[in-house]
Amino acid sequence: MRHYILKRLLNTIPIIIIVSILVFLFIHLIPGDPARLLAGHQATLEEITIMREQLGLNDPMYLQYFNFLKDFFSGHLGVSIKTGLPIKEMLIPRFKPTLYLAIFSIIWASIFGVVAGIISAVNRGKALDYFVMIGAISGISLPLFWLGLMLIQVFSVDLGWFPTGGIDGLKSYVLPSITLGAGIMSMIARYTRSSMIEILREPYIRTSRAKGVSEMLVVGKHALRNSLIDVVTIVGLQFGFLLAGSVLVETVFSIPGLGRLLIDSILFRDYTVIQVILLIFTLQFIVVNLVVDVMYGILNPKIRYE
Amino acid sequence: MKKRMVFLLTVLMFVISITGFAKSKELVIAVNANFISLDPHNLSDTLSGTASATMYEGLLKYENDMTLKPLLAESYNISKDGLTYTFKIRKGIKFSDGTALDAKAVKYNFDRVMDKKKNLRRRRNFLAVQKVEAIGADTVKIILKTPYSPMLNRVASLKIISPAALKKYGDQGIITHPVGTGPYVYDRWVQGDKLVIRRNNSYWGEKPKVDKVTFKPVIENGSRIAMLQTGEADFIYPMPTEQVRRIKGNKNIEIMTGFSTISRYVTLNTTKDVFKNKKVRQAINYAVNKKAYAQVVKSGYLVPLTSPVPEALEYHVDQTPYAFNLEKAKKLMKEAGYPNGFTTSIWGSNNTEDMKGMQFINQQLAQIGIKVEVMPMEEGTLANSIYSAQTPEEAKINMWYVNWSSFDIDGATKNLFHSHFIPPVSANTAYYMNSKVDKMIDGGAIETNSKKRAKIYADMQSTIWDDAPWIFLGSDQLVSAKRKTTKNVYVMPDGAINLEKADTSK
Repeated sequence: MRHYILKRLLNTIPIIIIVSILVFLFIHLIPGDPARLLAGHQATLEEITIMREQLGLNDPMYLQYFNFLKDFFSGHLGVSIKTGLPIKEMLIPRFKPTLYLAIFSIIWASIFGVVAGIISAVNRGKALDYFVMIGAISGISLPLFWLGLMLIQVFSVDLGWFPTGGIDGLKSYVLPSITLGAGIMSMIARYTRSSMIEILREPYIRTSRAKGVSEMLVVGKHALRNSLIDVVTIVGLQFGFLLAGSVLVETVFSIPGLGRLLIDSILFRDYTVIQVILLIFTLQFIVVNLVVDVMYGILNPKIRYE
Repeated sequence: MKKRMVFLLTVLMFVISITGFAKSKELVIAVNANFISLDPHNLSDTLSGTASATMYEGLLKYENDMTLKPLLAESYNISKDGLTYTFKIRKGIKFSDGTALDAKAVKYNFDRVMDKKKNLRRRRNFLAVQKVEAIGADTVKIILKTPYSPMLNRVASLKIISPAALKKYGDQGIITHPVGTGPYVYDRWVQGDKLVIRRNNSYWGEKPKVDKVTFKPVIENGSRIAMLQTGEADFIYPMPTEQVRRIKGNKNIEIMTGFSTISRYVTLNTTKDVFKNKKVRQAINYAVNKKAYAQVVKSGYLVPLTSPVPEALEYHVDQTPYAFNLEKAKKLMKEAGYPNGFTTSIWGSNNTEDMKGMQFINQQLAQIGIKVEVMPMEEGTLANSIYSAQTPEEAKINMWYVNWSSFDIDGATKNLFHSHFIPPVSANTAYYMNSKVDKMIDGGAIETNSKKRAKIYADMQSTIWDDAPWIFLGSDQLVSAKRKTTKNVYVMPDGAINLEKADTSK
């Protein structure tokens, strides 16, 4: 296993290089001159020209790219062209809220999703199944923005149980993580249900039942363990999207996280900051994928990597 | 026994009231964007300006009605030829780091902002200045290259930073270590989350009544209102106009409005065939119902423009309005050779309100046969589309739905109507080129006699109004909202929040 992980890690190096080039090119190809946006509406051409020079925007692309890599991997990360502040200082405080939000969301979404999926699968075709699945479909289709604002209206404004936004203790994460997790919970519930149904049809389940193993044990151990492989894939993928997808939730709940920083930076064409955040998101995707693959092996030792 | 009880109760009440009084007074203000910088010489957004104005002061300041009054300066005079501005600096003022404010410190600030190499954003305000001299401890002379009448407004815009702090922290460090002479001092700035300021206990003027103010950027309108409803915020700005009705019944909340220096308009590219003819441009102005615009797009919080410059600015003169008149509009279109109208496009940003505004224009102009394709764009793309054209011939822009804000009439007209300021140089996106108007803009800026200056600006406004290079829409009313317990917090015409006398009865 250790050998496998090492190999996988080495394999990611070319991916990171390619991704970093793509990230760099994408940003520089979107229209919009950062100097113009930074200098503001009222700026004149002279100011903008000097600013372009100062920001290094007149340097050849490859040089800008190397500077970006150098800053990134030296850990210095460079300076925001919008605020003039070191990017490192801007990022560090924003990591925690986004990470917490993602982790809380995925935890409750996984637990409730798997339970709902099992209930549905075991009661397949019965009223309870329909009831749970209608809930799941609504969870996927509800717009995050709307859900967030509704939760604020009911639980903050009307009932006064939770703060409307900001980060002030764990309580602050309740509503945002419900909002962010709703869709994923529904997705997990649906995947658990279908994979469970399939596995419940397998001969070995029939055999266990025939042998007189209790239904609890059949479902809870034999079937669940195998259905979880599918679920882990979904959770892994969703976790990646969660970090990036927290943008909307961070906006509704005024959470000072990475997602919002990314949007703010894109609006201002704050190239240096966008590059760093995108690269971080990419790295995190790669890491999560790796973790998922390792989990496969743990859940089902039959899946071999050689 | 009874007496004793009464006595004990009285003591108890007294203790409670004392501890009540001792509670520190704090305000939370929710705003709709993030602060970008706290370096007052290098910022161009109003919000960062609001924050820096709580900690920094200038030689002059604006009263609520936009007139200028000495602040760090005790008095000033302007030489007859309009070239030398002399300021006497008030004595005994200290920066919050304990160093003294004197003529040298003021000169240091001017020199910094005028340094071309640094290219700070406020430099554009001082291009007319030749040099600044410190004479003795308390006199500063600003010497201009040519007379420049908006100079006092520009001086007011320059906030004075402690030179000692600038030397200590450097140009970059000063962003997060603001040291000025203002009524508040910096506490902390958690990027994207909050900015906290405290009362400056050694402030030279009337000290603030609150101990602490926290600014919270809350971008989503609904969330900002929710904060006000729950009392998590004491004051919010802007108050989204479309939601005013929702909140009006709440007895804890008060909505406030104020006039602004913002003008809203649509530029018409006067070099394009369809807009070349003045009659077409006037027809368009007659075809747009400004009152309906105010209702539909700004929930009524807008006053129709009566001149190319908003009413809040000095030297503004009312013009004869282009009153909504479809018959007249159709007649003018016919005379101009477009009896059946034409097809064109309008550009603007992709925020909800601007899109609504563009749809409105589309619907209004359809009444006289003009088909307007609405093209909302993200800000960066929009700026690129506008400013990438190097010559008027290359320009693809037809109409631009936009707004502008400035403190003085020069700032409100030069970049928008002077022929030297067509893109890519600046924002004259109507490509309006009228040598008479150029001369009036230039002349107004160097005229030192205020009567003559008023005359020039009056002529300028009527000429532009008649030429109609814009659809003159309106000037915003600024809407904010507060808890009833919040006192004396208000929004200035430029959109900055004034906290000088802020208080709370929470």
